[in-house]
Amino acid sequence: MTNDSAMDRLLSASGRLFIAAAAFLTLAVLAGFGLLAPASTPGQIFWVLASKSTLSSTLRLSVPIVLAALGGIFAEKSGIINIGLEGLLIISAFAAIFGADATGSLWLGFLIGIVASTLLAAVFAVVCIEFRADQIIAGLAVWLIALGLAPFASQVFYGGPNTSNVGTFDTITVPALADIPFFGALFDASPAVYIMFLAVAASWYVLNRTTFGRWVRAAGENPKALDTAGVDVSRVRYAAVLLSGVLSGMGGAALAINIGQFTGNGPTMVNGKGFIAIVAYLFGNYNPVGALLSTTLFAGLDAVQLRLQTADVIAVPDSLVQTIPFVAVIVVLALVGKTRLPEAAGEHYESGEE
Amino acid sequence: MCDTEVFNAYRHRWWDMSQRRRTFISSVGTATAIGLAGCLGGDGGDGSGGDGGDTDSDGGDGDSGPAARVGMVYATGGLGDGSFNDQAQTGAIRSADELNIEYDESQPEAVQDFGSLQQQYAQSSNPDYDLVCCIGFLQADALTETASQYPEQDFMIVDSVVEADNVGSYVFGEHQGSFLIGLMAAKLTSQDFSAGTGSTQSDSTSVGFVGGVEGDLIGRFEAGYKAGVKHAEEDVDVQTAYVGDFNDPSGGQEAALSMYESGADIVYHAAGNTGTGVFRAAQEAERFAVGVDRDQSVTKSDFSDVILASMVKRVDNAVYTSVESVVNDNFEGGAVNTLGLEQNGVEAVYGQQLGSEIPQGVKDEVSEIRQSIIDGDISVPTDPDNV
Repeated sequence: MTNDSAMDRLLSASGRLFIAAAAFLTLAVLAGFGLLAPASTPGQIFWVLASKSTLSSTLRLSVPIVLAALGGIFAEKSGIINIGLEGLLIISAFAAIFGADATGSLWLGFLIGIVASTLLAAVFAVVCIEFRADQIIAGLAVWLIALGLAPFASQVFYGGPNTSNVGTFDTITVPALADIPFFGALFDASPAVYIMFLAVAASWYVLNRTTFGRWVRAAGENPKALDTAGVDVSRVRYAAVLLSGVLSGMGGAALAINIGQFTGNGPTMVNGKGFIAIVAYLFGNYNPVGALLSTTLFAGLDAVQLRLQTADVIAVPDSLVQTIPFVAVIVVLALVGKTRLPEAAGEHYESGEE
Repeated sequence: MCDTEVFNAYRHRWWDMSQRRRTFISSVGTATAIGLAGCLGGDGGDGSGGDGGDTDSDGGDGDSGPAARVGMVYATGGLGDGSFNDQAQTGAIRSADELNIEYDESQPEAVQDFGSLQQQYAQSSNPDYDLVCCIGFLQADALTETASQYPEQDFMIVDSVVEADNVGSYVFGEHQGSFLIGLMAAKLTSQDFSAGTGSTQSDSTSVGFVGGVEGDLIGRFEAGYKAGVKHAEEDVDVQTAYVGDFNDPSGGQEAALSMYESGADIVYHAAGNTGTGVFRAAQEAERFAVGVDRDQSVTKSDFSDVILASMVKRVDNAVYTSVESVVNDNFEGGAVNTLGLEQNGVEAVYGQQLGSEIPQGVKDEVSEIRQSIIDGDISVPTDPDNV
């Protein structure tokens, strides 16, 4: 058993290292082309990769995925697998626009989005913790409820699955720093992007450096020990799931306010971002920084493929280019399939006192 | 832990919890069903459509009951898209006002819903529908099947041709309208022009096109647009991208931003809801965009400061004409009606706010070329590979 998990960890570490090395090598080769033969196809790809606009596009696309992934990390670290992230994003995206429309303030709308997502997460927590429902099924239910409820509410209030427009946040530009090539994108972005970076840092700190973080990890790894130490496991898990609602709510609200409208047809404007978030934190091995990096990889591919299309660099059929992020997800899962779940994730914990 | 152990553990908990879970799942089922029912819900309560229930409450014209009943199955973008579906609805509202008909609406969630919604109207006997309007080319496959199952029911489809004796097909000359847009865009990017929020970069001559899903239909927009640009100015560069979705505004925004950042002055979209992102990008980049299907400077008035023009497709006329023919008992099943520039099926409509600032010279040229296309002096390609 110990040998196995040690082996697993080694394999997963080498898998990640392998991917990192491969990515670095590819980048180095492209950079070589970019410098020596900027007009060649690989050279052009390099300049697309190295452009400031690709980075800022990547950051914008990353925001909802990273925030949902952070929420997923808290929930799962505490032992509750939350696959309802997609649903939390959907409900908060709608509520944010509705709130902004009703109150006339984008920031109030943002808050209302967070509240809606947190309420739905609370329902999920009660169902999983109090009523001991299977977490996977309850998570799917969260998704399905939001998928039905948000377009329905839009139908009621706006007469169709699409809401009206409420406007967007103004970008915050740091003078001088914003003019740096490539990295300038970090200083010329919407408030949501800064919120994302703050949330990543705060999540990492809370998980690894605070008592609450230790409790969360213990609730997922060894709830019995935590219980013995006199901490109420259920309360820690409630807190963690609610936190996942708050974080996902920020993600969904940011997604919708970035456009200023909620569009609710088919898979809605969220369009699978919650599920990519799950992949992102698994690939990032439950580390907030890892989740940020893996998300920028996926979102970056998305941003790059749009630019390769417009620049007409590679004559690959567009529909094929559009599958790149999803193929990447599969490859990543196959190579890094050894990600270790928290020991007690998915299991209900019953305190001995009852 | 080996796999069977995991499996058994799951199975054990499954049985353990089954009682509670069953109630839970059934409540989830109900919630979802309510949600879906809401989305498919018919007349939307805006009063313009009227519903099938009250046959003689409108009382106006002495005769009880409407002249005809029409079922509308919209495209997946949904109402409120400010373009295609709303334009179709305009036709239904006009028919209701002028022809004394009643209509019922349904907004499919996804492509696989088309068949069942078409059938729902076709097999309904209370009320009995005289015509089912299928909006959007994605409905063609489902309609081919539905039409053969209900040979007595009249259907009409917009944007595609279904060969059946009970289906009237309405297609548009999108390539012709897009040609005029391309012409205008190329003329404007080649000169210094500023109006509203936007302005063209004097040192760059480049325009863009954002498509929804790549295919024959959107290909006609792209082909006409590119041909129009080329006709006006040989050396203007056209950037194109397909987002892969008609309902992905974030994708549209990113695609358009990347075009503006690499020098495009004007981006034309044929991408439904995805286009909202294109307009948002135009405002951010302080450049211009061109709308599609309806006069989007009106339907998306928040963006009227960047919308130069719209390639309007008179889907409403197609709906109205077909309803009229049913009311007058001269519906022609199996006919293909092409609505091009000549029939006013497509038009380049200048933006409400910016239209007056477009130089008269450009406008004159556009109307000149419009006439040459109608006269057949210029033939516009429909396949982007042939431009």
